[in-house]
Amino acid sequence: MMVATRRRNIVVNGDLNAVSLKEHLGALVKTSGALTALLITKEGHGIAEAGDTSYLNTTAMAALVAGMFSATREVARMVGEQQFSILLQQGETRHIHISLVTNSAMMIVIFEDYQRIGRVRHEAKKMGELVGQVLAKGTDKAKVSEELSVPEFKEYALNLIDRIFAMK
Amino acid sequence: MPHISYDNKEIAFKLVYCGPGLSGKTTNLARLHTMLAEHVRSKMISLDTAEERTLFFDFCPIEIGTIEGYRVRFNMYTVPGQIYYEASRRLILDGADGVVFVADSQRDRIDDNIISFELMQENLRSYHIDVPDFPLVLQYNKRDCAEALPIGTLEAHLHLANIDVFEAVATEGVGVMETVRCVCRRMVNRFQID
Repeated sequence: MMVATRRRNIVVNGDLNAVSLKEHLGALVKTSGALTALLITKEGHGIAEAGDTSYLNTTAMAALVAGMFSATREVARMVGEQQFSILLQQGETRHIHISLVTNSAMMIVIFEDYQRIGRVRHEAKKMGELVGQVLAKGTDKAKVSEELSVPEFKEYALNLIDRIFAMK
Repeated sequence: MPHISYDNKEIAFKLVYCGPGLSGKTTNLARLHTMLAEHVRSKMISLDTAEERTLFFDFCPIEIGTIEGYRVRFNMYTVPGQIYYEASRRLILDGADGVVFVADSQRDRIDDNIISFELMQENLRSYHIDVPDFPLVLQYNKRDCAEALPIGTLEAHLHLANIDVFEAVATEGVGVMETVRCVCRRMVNRFQID
């Protein structure tokens, strides 16, 4: 993988909100006994993750769950609901609990012991409120824009695009 | 604007391939996937019918590298082209940073191209996106067909001024890279943090 960095422009851990999100997800994994927790946007981008992700393509997971949730929201509207706030997928050995934490973000919890579903729902609801509060604070974009040089980012990115998408 | 994840250290752009049914959107993405180096591409996912027509979307994330500590990713989607999948198309266009409109160059598909483009414009407007200011690239695919539509036909019908246009034969990989490179460059050129 090509890497372009300039020490003076490196953003270390972004802002405190992001650290808190990861910590919250980590706590959720621990208290619920889940395998993995992910926080994603409704557009299908990953925000934060915790637990074991070694078995999972989290990028594809985010895109698929966002699509599934969007489709389900349309179904909800057809039956007169604004949206279904929780989706539960039960498998043979692994199960997925998906909950809306804000209008634009959702939390995915993957767990194995279905008898823990009550625990997962309870912990996800509790943690969803905390995560929602962190997301509602927004991010300190002014600080980030000071640290991340947009012109240099563009220059590097355009260079990479020309190399990756070169004609064969 | 692209999604910036401070926790995941990632900047992700969303690119959507639109166009009428059977114009070659999935073929563009599949060819792109095979033409790219293995280290930049992930597995391509297709949600399709038994007849291999796109049902919901195809998805292919491309990671171009790491810049100033951030992994830079282009998440590429196709929409289903068939007219009755309008609701799915609208959902997938939500949050798009750029669009490739894949037109079918066969002369008898001109109305399908125009209808599809107009529906796409409506969907983008519903997300407060104005096409003239948006990274949109027009690709005339199937240039190897007999009596292909002349370049400029759709631009004239749709009143598109200054749009980037590419000719392609996606089944052979012709024009696929040029198209995606152009739209990705335009997305990056619009990048800003605030």
